[in-house]
Amino acid sequence: MLKMRHFSHWFLLLCILIFINNTQAQSHVGKYDWLLPDYVKLQYAGGIGFLSAGVGYTFVHQRIDATFFYGYVPKGIAIDDLSSVSLQFTAKLVRIRLSENYQLLPLNFGWFIHHTFGSEYWIKLPSHYPPEYYWWSPGRNAGIFIGGELKTKWLARKTPASGIAIYARIGTRGLYLASKVGNSSIPITDIIELGFGIALYR
Amino acid sequence: MGTTFKIILLFSTMFLISCEGLFDYSPYQIDFDSENKGVNATNLDRLLKTNQSDTITIAFTGDTHNDFDELGCFVDKVNTFPNIDFVIHIGDIADFGLPKQYLWGNGYLLNLEVPYLVLIGNHDLVGNGLEAYKEMFGDVDFSFVYQDIKFVFLNTNSLEFAYNGNVPNLEWLSQQLLPSEDFSRAVVVFHMPPGIGFDSELELGFYQTLSAHNNVIMAVHGHQHHHEVYYPTADSIPFVNVYGVEHRMMTLVKIYQDKIDVENEAF
Repeated sequence: MLKMRHFSHWFLLLCILIFINNTQAQSHVGKYDWLLPDYVKLQYAGGIGFLSAGVGYTFVHQRIDATFFYGYVPKGIAIDDLSSVSLQFTAKLVRIRLSENYQLLPLNFGWFIHHTFGSEYWIKLPSHYPPEYYWWSPGRNAGIFIGGELKTKWLARKTPASGIAIYARIGTRGLYLASKVGNSSIPITDIIELGFGIALYR
Repeated sequence: MGTTFKIILLFSTMFLISCEGLFDYSPYQIDFDSENKGVNATNLDRLLKTNQSDTITIAFTGDTHNDFDELGCFVDKVNTFPNIDFVIHIGDIADFGLPKQYLWGNGYLLNLEVPYLVLIGNHDLVGNGLEAYKEMFGDVDFSFVYQDIKFVFLNTNSLEFAYNGNVPNLEWLSQQLLPSEDFSRAVVVFHMPPGIGFDSELELGFYQTLSAHNNVIMAVHGHQHHHEVYYPTADSIPFVNVYGVEHRMMTLVKIYQDKIDVENEAF
């Protein structure tokens, strides 16, 4: 799995380079510009890494976002370092224009799927198990979240980026919900994954 | 506009600060505080310092899976009994092997007034569960002597180690059961009994090792969630199958002189 981890590092670096390269050369409209991500994100926590870097596209008049994250938990914060990727879809339901420079998106709903790297985090039940021995897979979990975002035009004049946003999201995942069901003594705060981050828009 | 923005920023900051502890980095993050580390060693220390009685009473539960509320009820009930020496949780404290489930499970057991020991089950080993178990409870195979009786805790979850031939570790078990001055009898405790998930190539050796020195007075296991006492070996070592916690029944084992009593108590 070491190779896979390296692959993710390189993939992420590549995405960031392409993004930076593109924002710097925004005035030249290229043939493949539509391929370039619409934003990059840096997120703290939220269940997908201590720090996660993401790239993504926005669709349907900026109402739907699809983001690919690479998340890392360094050794020291956990007893072993953890690498993972996640794919996240967000529906931005409400958009409030506060002024020319600020937009508030207070009601974003999201769904994500999260894959942790490592042979112990299998996705398909290894062959030595009897069929359907375990119903879940430790390597692939799905979850949901709600969040809010404040979009600004900071840096818009000084850099080729169109703006910066700060966002927060609060969520949980299927395995936590399955543990909470039928257990009133487990506090709801124990199954919450809170996170926040910044987004830089193209 | 500046004011509105500052207010939003202020409230967001206050919100985020007040939510410290809700930030989650990964379902597999192992970052336990001191009361959730080395738990079996701490409890053994406590147990071996207590005044040992002639009759040993042990309360067994196990197979918590996702029935955490019931584990809480078990703890409350055990705390009402005056004569329990210690508690054994016979494995599967973390249904998905998640560090968070380890924390939940141990969170209830920490409220026990008597010492307790937690054995490893197959569910506890999924994902990075082995690391979580070692960090929270310690070695997967361990033993101690209490009142002239050696208690041997054995990892029998062969399936989780892809039937590698070393689980259960029969060489270690055999060493533990070698007669010595500090004990005259032994009790062997494990999660998974011979059957599906237990290495079939080690099954015969397992029974032979238990019978080798004629000093094992009882074997106790979980995994099957129901209760029964049965005798799979020719020399009649009783095997006690412990109820899963969802039945809200605990198994009480009393050992005195040369007798063993097995009772079940509702909670």
